[in-house]
Amino acid sequence: MQSLTEREWEFLFSCVAARIAPDSAHLDADGRRRFREIVTGALAQRPETVVTQIRLFLGVLRRAPAIRYGRTLDRLSPERQDAVLRWFQDAPVQKLRQGLWGVKALVYMGYYAQPQVAVSLHYTPSFDGNAHLHA
Amino acid sequence: MREKSYDVVIVGSGAGGGTVAKELAPLCREGLSVAVLEWGAKLRDDEFTGRELEMAGQLYFDSGGVLTAEGTMTLAFGRAYGGSTVVYTGTSLIIPPATVERWAVPGITWDDMAKRSRRYLAENNVHLQEDEVLNENNTLFRAGCEKLGYRVEQFPVNLKGCKGSSLCNLGCPNAAKQGTHRVQLPAAEAAGVEVITNCRVDRLGDRELFATVANSSFGEPSRWEPGDYRVKARAVVLAASAVNSPALLLRSGFGARLPVLGRYFTAHPALILVAEHDHPISSYYGHPKSFYCDHFTDSHGFLLETCMYFPFTTAKNLIGFGAEHAELMRRMDHMQMILVLAIDPALPDNRVTIDANGDPVVHYRFTEEVLTSLLESMRASARIFFAAGARRVHAPACANFFVGREDATRVDELIARRYLKLGRNSITSAHLMGGCRMGTAPADSVTDAWGRVHGLPWLYVADASLFPRASEINPYVTVMALADRVAERVRADLPGLGPA
Repeated sequence: MQSLTEREWEFLFSCVAARIAPDSAHLDADGRRRFREIVTGALAQRPETVVTQIRLFLGVLRRAPAIRYGRTLDRLSPERQDAVLRWFQDAPVQKLRQGLWGVKALVYMGYYAQPQVAVSLHYTPSFDGNAHLHA
Repeated sequence: MREKSYDVVIVGSGAGGGTVAKELAPLCREGLSVAVLEWGAKLRDDEFTGRELEMAGQLYFDSGGVLTAEGTMTLAFGRAYGGSTVVYTGTSLIIPPATVERWAVPGITWDDMAKRSRRYLAENNVHLQEDEVLNENNTLFRAGCEKLGYRVEQFPVNLKGCKGSSLCNLGCPNAAKQGTHRVQLPAAEAAGVEVITNCRVDRLGDRELFATVANSSFGEPSRWEPGDYRVKARAVVLAASAVNSPALLLRSGFGARLPVLGRYFTAHPALILVAEHDHPISSYYGHPKSFYCDHFTDSHGFLLETCMYFPFTTAKNLIGFGAEHAELMRRMDHMQMILVLAIDPALPDNRVTIDANGDPVVHYRFTEEVLTSLLESMRASARIFFAAGARRVHAPACANFFVGREDATRVDELIARRYLKLGRNSITSAHLMGGCRMGTAPADSVTDAWGRVHGLPWLYVADASLFPRASEINPYVTVMALADRVAERVRADLPGLGPA
């Protein structure tokens, strides 16, 4: 079973996740642990080929900005990091767009799938929802 | 390897398998034996927690995120006692006459389909919900459509004792949704049908199946001990979904004699669209799906439905990232949502194959017509959102994250084809159809109009893989009607079929 290396994890959480889901940067230690458990668990359920593709894409995402800016993504200013991520989102090559989509999905899962986050989203469903309809 | 023997074995327990099980249950009183082999688990009532990731992991294949080979669409289909009926919203429509005409399967008539469908509508307690339990997410959609002159209808739903949790797609925590796990399967079991959960069918032979039982950490344990099984049967009915039924047949070596097997897969490719209101609206209280708009079905090839999704699903379906994305996500109580379903054509190259391990691979290429439908659906949805009073609309095919109210008249210009890019936009599907299509001969189909696989009188298919084209509506009632036909055929054929 493949997972991310410590370096890949650090890049994903501290650099990429902070730009994609900025509120993830405010997670406390428990929140960060849950984030990691969710992402690690999701990767563990995916086929090896998918995990390999994600790891490869994270490598591309980190190094590609060096061509234009002379620095890896994690060493750029937040504004330039956003510009790079936007470029990948709209990239002319479908595989690059899909790569960013996959990384975004992982980040959103790690953060928004935490039940503890729901209140901050004003998402408070109830099993007895009809009772709240006209409250 | 342990051995078992039955008169009839059904693979899968969703809308198709559950229906066949219930319809064949009277055979048990005649001394015959019927078993249902279900890959998924039977959750206990208190295990329906409504927690997004937990429920998705327990009730869907790949947590609802099965990727197509091209990586451009994710597929959500259920794996549980009750199959996808555990995780649908219970919207219950009879297939339109024009769709049956387009299907053009000799022997399938709308009158017959409608008659059978009505029986299941009654059996599943299908009705229209009263106005006082419709939330604003739904009534705003209706108001927006009416203001624009778009045809809008209320969904009949199969509920009993609904408390409006809005969690239908995560399995109803109140046991209100009348899926096969609440209606047909319990009735079948009471009459003597054996339902074996946590049982994956690996391969199919000549009147026999090879299966593996492995219990999960959740749900009730299987009634069979964990291990490998060889199961003999006089008749086998496949109802394992439009992905897994073709895959099982392919993995079992039936592809050579059935050249169309796996082909003509359709999916109703879907978009989840979101708008924001100035004030909180009720959206996650009450049933999530009360109305649909079929105004554009014939002219532009799409349906619009109300919907309400959960934080991760919603976040994943928004384009973009960063501050604007986070800002919208923090206002889920202000969100209105619309689900788009594109009516896609049945094409031979859109198909299910298997990989080297025998696991299913879904190949799906979007036609330009379908992409145009999705684009037009975003424009129509934006108009509905604004007509309903939305402050701003998130359009996935737009230069900016939001289209503001001040630009409401410019949606056709701002929402543009150049921004709709595969791999950039989240496209999902929960209506998987085709792959074992009905027809008249192996050259154009896998089964006849009764679900009998060509050339194999003991083998039947009874799920949405039978559809020769898209259903053009939410498909579960149509699956049940077809499954009822299959059960009728099995009953008629069984005396002539040899011993297991």
